Amino acid sequence: MAADMQELLEDSVLLQCRVNGQPRDAEIHSATSLLDFLRDELRLTGTHMGCMTGHCGACTVMVNGRVIKSCITLAATVQRKKITTIEGLAGEDGKLHPVQQAFWDESGLQCAYCSPGMVLTTVELLELNPKPTDAEIRLALSGNLCRCTGYQSIVRAVRASAGMQTKESED
Amino acid sequence: MSLRVQYARPRNLGQAAELLGALGSGVMIIAGGQELMPYINYGKLDPSVLVDISALNELRGIESIDGMISIGALTVHRDIQSDPLVNESAPLLADAAVQIGGGWQVQNQGTIGGNIVCMHPLYDIVPPLLVLGAEVEMQNTDGAHRTPLAALIDDSSHQLGTSAVLTRVLVPEAPATAGWAYEKLKLTDGSYGSANAAAMVALDSGGKIQSMRLVLGAVTEKPLDVSNSLEKLHGRMPGAEFGAAVEAACIAAVKQPLSDQQGNAEYRQAMAGVVGRRAAAAAAQRAAKIGNAHGG
Repeated sequence: MAADMQELLEDSVLLQCRVNGQPRDAEIHSATSLLDFLRDELRLTGTHMGCMTGHCGACTVMVNGRVIKSCITLAATVQRKKITTIEGLAGEDGKLHPVQQAFWDESGLQCAYCSPGMVLTTVELLELNPKPTDAEIRLALSGNLCRCTGYQSIVRAVRASAGMQTKESED
Repeated sequence: MSLRVQYARPRNLGQAAELLGALGSGVMIIAGGQELMPYINYGKLDPSVLVDISALNELRGIESIDGMISIGALTVHRDIQSDPLVNESAPLLADAAVQIGGGWQVQNQGTIGGNIVCMHPLYDIVPPLLVLGAEVEMQNTDGAHRTPLAALIDDSSHQLGTSAVLTRVLVPEAPATAGWAYEKLKLTDGSYGSANAAAMVALDSGGKIQSMRLVLGAVTEKPLDVSNSLEKLHGRMPGAEFGAAVEAACIAAVKQPLSDQQGNAEYRQAMAGVVGRRAAAAAAQRAAKIGNAHGG
């Protein structure tokens, strides 16, 4: 192989990105998922590992303001991007983000394993659609699985986050 | 996850093609990662080199070129859903992109190129693209090549994802009078379909079927274009009888139905008929509505 092509090949990745506002860099194995980078390298364990196949959504984080599943995102591909994990939502004084507070108030959780992902997806939903219908809420959360609540209290929490009166769901 | 895999991040498409030409087997092109990462996480794929093309911005974006919509291979599903040009001139594609499973997370990260290259029978993008008569452009060391998507699907030697890069998808702008529909039979919003159908229908001035294209997905290993077997229905009035004929034709076209978690073979074949009928009816209804609006 030509020398200039050989030069492109790296045995590891030097990853630089901004996580919850802080610049971070690390040398990681090439095939590392963004989830493993956040949990194992940065010890940000609020991002949960559920399935490693992209089905459950427990590993949801935001990249440049949009939710993605960190377990099926190659860490190397977030080079120089901005990552927000659940640890980055609350204020520095520990005050919960309004969406977190609403999930707390409405008990939008039972075991809470899915909650970091549910909360982050709700943040993106409300940024794009401040007054979603129940159907829009359920569609937006379709990439986040909850095995405890049956989703009713989660939909209530999202409605509360949006400052809407809670009501009994019709379905 | 293997600890031995090498990594390369070419700076432009030319360099990517050159590198892929120089590397041997075991190379995998990665961008969104939605298809590859589950296999890598579980050690089911063990690439020797990951070639990361995610930063090649020349492969991103949507523009109109000579009556076709050019969609860069790295364009993510969310951007296709909301793109004004796609919604105006290929609304069938925008609607199918909305119905992609896995939630917003997958739609924010998954690319149209990845969805095509992995040729997964349950994925949503190829059936509507076949209905629309899309072409794809790819690049390898010999340069750029353009081919109809329908030909690519029957070609096992394309080497996309390993030594050739899919660069863009070219979608002919659909006629403004065409009705369209994407029907996906699924258990939840986030799940795979058990049967999918993409349809485009044009009606004549009397409201009869003038032309119709229909492609079934998620029922056989490859998407199934049943348009030819529906030609006998041209000239018919849309309605219950027409719907029953579409359903029968779709069922008859499915020779080797898939049998997996989305349902067994018998169910999949039957549901191919159901989604086919629904898609044809919905597309005809849209075409009638457009016709009425135009006819004033």
